[in-house]
Amino acid sequence: MLPFGVKAIDRALPGGGLALGALHEILGAGADEEDGAAAAGFAAGIAGRLLAVDSLQKQPGAVLWCLKHGDLYGPGLAAHGLDPARIALVRTTRDDDILWALEEGLRAPGIAAVIGELGRLPMVAGRRLQLAAERSGGVALLLRRWRTGAQAEAERARPSAAVTRWRVAPLPSVPEPDEPGIGQPRWRIELLRCRGAEPAEWITEVADASGVVRLPAELADRPAAPQRFAGEPREWRRAG
Amino acid sequence: MIASGGRQLLAAMNPAAAAGGLAPGMPLADALSFLPGLATRPAELAEDAAALRRLAEWCGRYSPWTAPDGGDGVKIEVTGSAHLWGGEAELAADLSRRLARQDIAHRLAIADTLGAAWATARHAASDDAPVIVAPEETRAALAPLPIAALRLDPALVQGLHRVGLRRVGDLMAMPRDALARRFGEEAARRLDRAQGDLPEPLSPLGEVPTRRVRLSFAEPIADPADLARAAERLTRDLVTRLAREGMGARRLELGFHRVDGRVEHIRIGTARPSRDPVHLARLLIGKLDTVDPGFGIEDAILAAFAVETLAPEQLGMGSTAAAASGTAPLFDRIGARLGLDALALLEPRESHIPERASRAVSMTESAASKKSPHPPIAVAMAPSLSRTAGEGFTPQKLPRPVRLFAPPEPVEAFWVLPDDPPFRFTWRRQPHRVAQADGPERIAEEWWRPDGQLIDGHGDAGAIRDYYRVEDETGRRFWLFRAGLPGDPPPRWFVHGVFA
Repeated sequence: MLPFGVKAIDRALPGGGLALGALHEILGAGADEEDGAAAAGFAAGIAGRLLAVDSLQKQPGAVLWCLKHGDLYGPGLAAHGLDPARIALVRTTRDDDILWALEEGLRAPGIAAVIGELGRLPMVAGRRLQLAAERSGGVALLLRRWRTGAQAEAERARPSAAVTRWRVAPLPSVPEPDEPGIGQPRWRIELLRCRGAEPAEWITEVADASGVVRLPAELADRPAAPQRFAGEPREWRRAG
Repeated sequence: MIASGGRQLLAAMNPAAAAGGLAPGMPLADALSFLPGLATRPAELAEDAAALRRLAEWCGRYSPWTAPDGGDGVKIEVTGSAHLWGGEAELAADLSRRLARQDIAHRLAIADTLGAAWATARHAASDDAPVIVAPEETRAALAPLPIAALRLDPALVQGLHRVGLRRVGDLMAMPRDALARRFGEEAARRLDRAQGDLPEPLSPLGEVPTRRVRLSFAEPIADPADLARAAERLTRDLVTRLAREGMGARRLELGFHRVDGRVEHIRIGTARPSRDPVHLARLLIGKLDTVDPGFGIEDAILAAFAVETLAPEQLGMGSTAAAASGTAPLFDRIGARLGLDALALLEPRESHIPERASRAVSMTESAASKKSPHPPIAVAMAPSLSRTAGEGFTPQKLPRPVRLFAPPEPVEAFWVLPDDPPFRFTWRRQPHRVAQADGPERIAEEWWRPDGQLIDGHGDAGAIRDYYRVEDETGRRFWLFRAGLPGDPPPRWFVHGVFA
């Protein structure tokens, strides 16, 4: 179990954090679905914190990141908590090779997390990864990237063997009073699907250099209830 | 039958035809006058050469030093490997038996020099009696042979015949100077080589491995499980040797010698030298499905190339992903299946140029570059971007995108004042309205070209990139830059990356 360290999020997850020995899907949102920049930042934070946990157990590990694009940028990942020096990239042109490498990575010692960037994910392939993760206790993060609306539609509708499915969208930053320009960047993090839990949604600051997401100051002061989808009654109201 | 200068010549014939008086090089017309019923076919020289090459490769079971010799021979250097067979006679007998089983007519000779072996194989050996010439008998063995046995030009052989020199012994009797003067240096040199007075190197077929282990099977094997066991056994043997010598191998080649004379190869490479038997065997076994055992495999030979010193303490340590504890076998498996180039590290660089500050380098390249560090590129400005000379990234003060496009993608942008970020831009055919922006961060790049092409070396001097972090109305954050200074021609805009 890897807690996010944010009560609101951890409370919404069974066990109080991100399940280990599991497959997690991370989607981009809107036009960022193709580049998956926010999703990559979110995944980097999780992977970085998994590495940190490993280091505490004196097993300096690595993260296996498998992708088709050559667009991953080390300094940017470092800003979200993942030391690029600990990433082993696997660059290939075939989905099948990515799936194979992820499975091998899950089985291998010294790998704190595997991250795969995939468009198509057949149910069988997802189930294989989930099984491999369960067996090894490792974490597999799948960044779903798609080129066309039609593919996005089909893949979003496809059932998945993943334990959770997240969607991370960049949100307009909040300008700081005395500073011009871009303020503190934010994400909308949605837990779209989670085995044994309800969907939920939060607005957070982007993961910092230690991989931690925080609720913005003005939200953190409120009772720590998950932010619901717009239009849904708030939890405190229902509980009322 | 071979076409030569408009005539049809005989290239080769079966024993019956040879008994009828035909010989290689005879014109077809003459041949037909001897044997009117002669059946002929065009010679397939390329096929023959390929077959000979395969045969030479198969002979690798006797020695790593093998090569086709001319159009009808194979040379094998058995020095140092004959004892593995119990001696030269036993080796020759084994080779002869296996060739016979493949229906390959052959004549074998083992001698001290390549020239003597060539001569005796062709002019002294018979189909089922290999000739083995003891070192002190070389001259005696050569003397009675016809002078053609010296690998001389046919014209020269005829010339020698005309003056009554027919046997090698006739030439040996002449003083070397006289021989060279009268019949040319070539004749003298050939004789020297045959007698061992002049060394003659054998250029082997392909690269010669530094370590080799062999396994022969009493009964040919074909079952995949047997092949796997053979691979394991050979790996163990090889690793034992490597460990004794403190070495590790980076490339292995496992050759399966089939009973029909073909050799099936599998090759593996590792990112770092290795002598882990379990790991190496698993890599080999992972490729066994490409091996077609045919009617059976009688020998397996495992050869190690690119052998490097590997001290025990080097067996797994370090600080980066490539050296994370226990990951080497994983990387080797990936390299074996996807190619070593598929594996890369995001290597931090001493550079303020964004695309150079982090570069994906293949793991093998990375390992090599560790030995000769990249010379640091002077950081001209933006001190917050500079790094200490040590390794690793430090989180940047100035924000950097998680995705960086190479090359940067041109956009159509609109701006007001020369130093302003755009208020609107179109990227990938989507319009974006800029809501917030930071910048500029100027990165002077003398080898940047305004046409959007990065070149190595020094291109247009004075080209400048001004970077802006801009946020559109939906909250997406981009790394945009303006290439070139305001003026004529107008600067151009690019999206270089996307922030998380």
